[in-house]
Amino acid sequence: MSAQLNTVMSSVWYVAKDEWRYWLRSKVAIFVLAIGLVLTLSSVIKTAFTMHGLSHDRNAMQNLSEETFMEQPDRHPHRMVHYGHYAFRTPSPLSILDPGIDAYTGNSIFLEGHRQNSAMFADQKQGTGLTKLGNLSPAFIVQVLAPLLIILIGYSTMSRERESQTLAFLVAQGTSIYTLIMGKILALFLVVCLITLPLALSGMLAIFQGESLFIVLGFLFGYVFYLLVWVLIVVFLSTLVSKNNESFTALVFVWILLCIAMPRVASTTASVSSPSAGKLETDFAVIAALRKLGDGHNANDPAFTKLKDSLLKQYDVETVEELPINFRGAVASASEAELSKVLNQFAEQRMDTELEQTQIARRFGWLSPNVAIRSLSMITAGSSIETHHRFLRETEALRLDFVQSLNKAHTEKLSYIDDINRNNGEEAWQRARVSAQNWKMIEGFSFSADSASTRFSRSVGAFAQLFTWATILVVLIRLAGRREI
Amino acid sequence: MMRQINREWRFMLRQRYVMVILLCSFLVSTFSVTTGLSEVNAQRQTIERLKQADIIDRTKAQAKYDDAGSLAYYSFHLVYSEPSNLAFAALGERDVYPWKHRIRMLALEGQIYESDAQNAELAQAGKIDFAFVISVLSPFFLILLFHDLIASERASGRHNLLVTTAKSVYALWGARAAVRFGAIFLCVLLPFYIGAAISDAALGAVLQITLWCFLYFAFWTALSIYLGRNANSAPRIASALIGLWALFAFVIPILGDLTIEQSIQAPKGSDILLTQREAVNDAWDLPVETTMEAFVAKHPEYKNDTNVEGGFEWKWYYAFQQVGDQVAAPISKEYRAAAHKKHDLAGYVSFFAPPMLIQRKMAEIAQTDAVAAFEYEQNIRDFHKSLRLFYYPWLFRHDEFDKSQLNLMPQFEQTLINSKN
Repeated sequence: MSAQLNTVMSSVWYVAKDEWRYWLRSKVAIFVLAIGLVLTLSSVIKTAFTMHGLSHDRNAMQNLSEETFMEQPDRHPHRMVHYGHYAFRTPSPLSILDPGIDAYTGNSIFLEGHRQNSAMFADQKQGTGLTKLGNLSPAFIVQVLAPLLIILIGYSTMSRERESQTLAFLVAQGTSIYTLIMGKILALFLVVCLITLPLALSGMLAIFQGESLFIVLGFLFGYVFYLLVWVLIVVFLSTLVSKNNESFTALVFVWILLCIAMPRVASTTASVSSPSAGKLETDFAVIAALRKLGDGHNANDPAFTKLKDSLLKQYDVETVEELPINFRGAVASASEAELSKVLNQFAEQRMDTELEQTQIARRFGWLSPNVAIRSLSMITAGSSIETHHRFLRETEALRLDFVQSLNKAHTEKLSYIDDINRNNGEEAWQRARVSAQNWKMIEGFSFSADSASTRFSRSVGAFAQLFTWATILVVLIRLAGRREI
Repeated sequence: MMRQINREWRFMLRQRYVMVILLCSFLVSTFSVTTGLSEVNAQRQTIERLKQADIIDRTKAQAKYDDAGSLAYYSFHLVYSEPSNLAFAALGERDVYPWKHRIRMLALEGQIYESDAQNAELAQAGKIDFAFVISVLSPFFLILLFHDLIASERASGRHNLLVTTAKSVYALWGARAAVRFGAIFLCVLLPFYIGAAISDAALGAVLQITLWCFLYFAFWTALSIYLGRNANSAPRIASALIGLWALFAFVIPILGDLTIEQSIQAPKGSDILLTQREAVNDAWDLPVETTMEAFVAKHPEYKNDTNVEGGFEWKWYYAFQQVGDQVAAPISKEYRAAAHKKHDLAGYVSFFAPPMLIQRKMAEIAQTDAVAAFEYEQNIRDFHKSLRLFYYPWLFRHDEFDKSQLNLMPQFEQTLINSKN
């Protein structure tokens, strides 16, 4: 049995070697392969440098922002609430292979009291607009261009044998058609390995930068598997038709459909079928809800009577002036807490709609392996929409945290009398302040993507899509092979 | 001639793979136009809803406050850029650049970069609009239709017979090419014409787009036929053509992008914001005169009205808001100039990348390109200015604010009309 297997293996290997010999002789295939390698390699190097630079810049900005905050002089604490703080989204280590949505969302958020700002300054907006169709990222090169290269190298792999009538000869000699097909698949698979090699090297770099080995392997496996699906598509269509040019036309057509048209059909369908109200629109609802809460700047707002009564009762005093704490600070703190609840409720709704849209687009992975690898790649690399949502949530926590600790200083360290008299001349103005020591509570913010296991569990769907593609293609190839004999 | 056309027409109808390509091109074009129409429709409806909510919200704010300072502080104003009638065909940059904001009379640099952007993951994938079908997909259809025009006859052994029996080379290949060209042109553009009729687009613009599409189609057809004229192996020609397509669509634009990004130095957006924030916040601790001097430099008409009594007056507050913008103005201008420069340079690059060229042309005609976004930004700045000029007399000249004046408040629509003139 094992001897038999050995013979099969060696003939598969022989077929693969023979295919490579053919490519080496024909020069076209080698030329195409060389282009593929140059493209992948240059994209890997270029993107690694770019993302490294971005990461460095954003970390530096983050530190600068924290320093300037802490260096502010003694002030009224509420001034610091409006002075605000910045949070920057540092890219995940695997972004050097797939920057994903990094350039399409703002990468910094201004955090201040009473409002949630959106992320500003998306790089794409300040760009040339030339990279609309594709960019020099390893993700784009391998997802879109590599399949085309595999087609150019392999379109004639089976149809050539038929056209030159060597196929009948080979089969008559006792080579099984499946051995032949396996050999061709193996030959093309070696091409896949060559193309993904630069990715693996860059992946190692990501591991050094703290990315989990598990997720990098999953990422690379996803790409190899994706290209294997393309190898199967090429071998299948090349087996199915009887002429080289038919095989070529059919494959190029399938490529346009799956790699160029389908991702865009997916995103268009998603945005048309599940339109999302923008932030501007939900903000109206926020404003309406906030009006009910009352303005936290105005301690006399009737909305805070209840708070006032309970505080007076708690400290057993008659007037707010007698309270051991600053009533205005207490109001600011209570209203910020309420407000943040409302803001978060709407923010969560907005993120849900966005995620829903994205899921619709991702479902197109059943129709195109390209859509599947796109989501798999971005999810595992930590450059998908989920990562951005995580950034939004973390920055909101940071915002509430710094605003509330300032409100705490306002309540506990600034006397109410000084506070209400702050506009009565220069001296009163100076007195209504707390020490700059209170600004030191700003903690270093550094953003990181979700944990490896979370990202992996999100990508299961995309893996399933690719796996289904591969299975169906294997079945189809068997059917096509049977027809051959 | 009619006879030849007729003959080729019937011949084409019998070729299955030509029919498949035609059908696919028609379907994909229809899909792009339909979704484009619904996208534009959704944008229009959003603007309508926002307009109504905006008025309700502002009316409430105006009812609650009586003094000019508070009114200016609590009134937000909707500004927007409505999609043109041709936007359905070229959605352009509208998924990257924001087209709606709500602003108030505070420092504008802090507000104008807010972007109520669409889903980033969808924006990254790109949309399939008609401009995309034309610029990227149609070259493929043309390559597939024309690269083996001659080679396929040679492969089936009819070539020499056809050439010797035909009246002239043009009567044979010309008629065949014309029929295929006409068929694919119609399949791709017919949905567009229907869309244009539905959305009431201007005839001139539609003709302009027709002309550009015709030239672009002619370019790829000529290229395909020319490269395929002496070929024996159709796949080799098609590979070369697809290689050219990849060169035009990806390689040249990407190289151009890298060169432009390297050569243009621009300030970071966040620098504008930081500068503006520092200026506005420092003003609270600076003497009132310092702020007022900087303010009066721009508005000398108020040089006798800068006295601030007590600790706080709205005019001081708004003066330092404006001074914040003034301080950030040089970086902001540089930032915008860099964006303009990049757009212009990208225009030169696109001369060497026909798919980019036609996409830019179509977005330009449909007013959905970066230039339209820049204009919208300028409209916001103009409107903000008119808002300030409306409130300043009430803030600085201590007149009792007469609420009936609110009827005279500047409207964004008026700014739009003024900018067109």
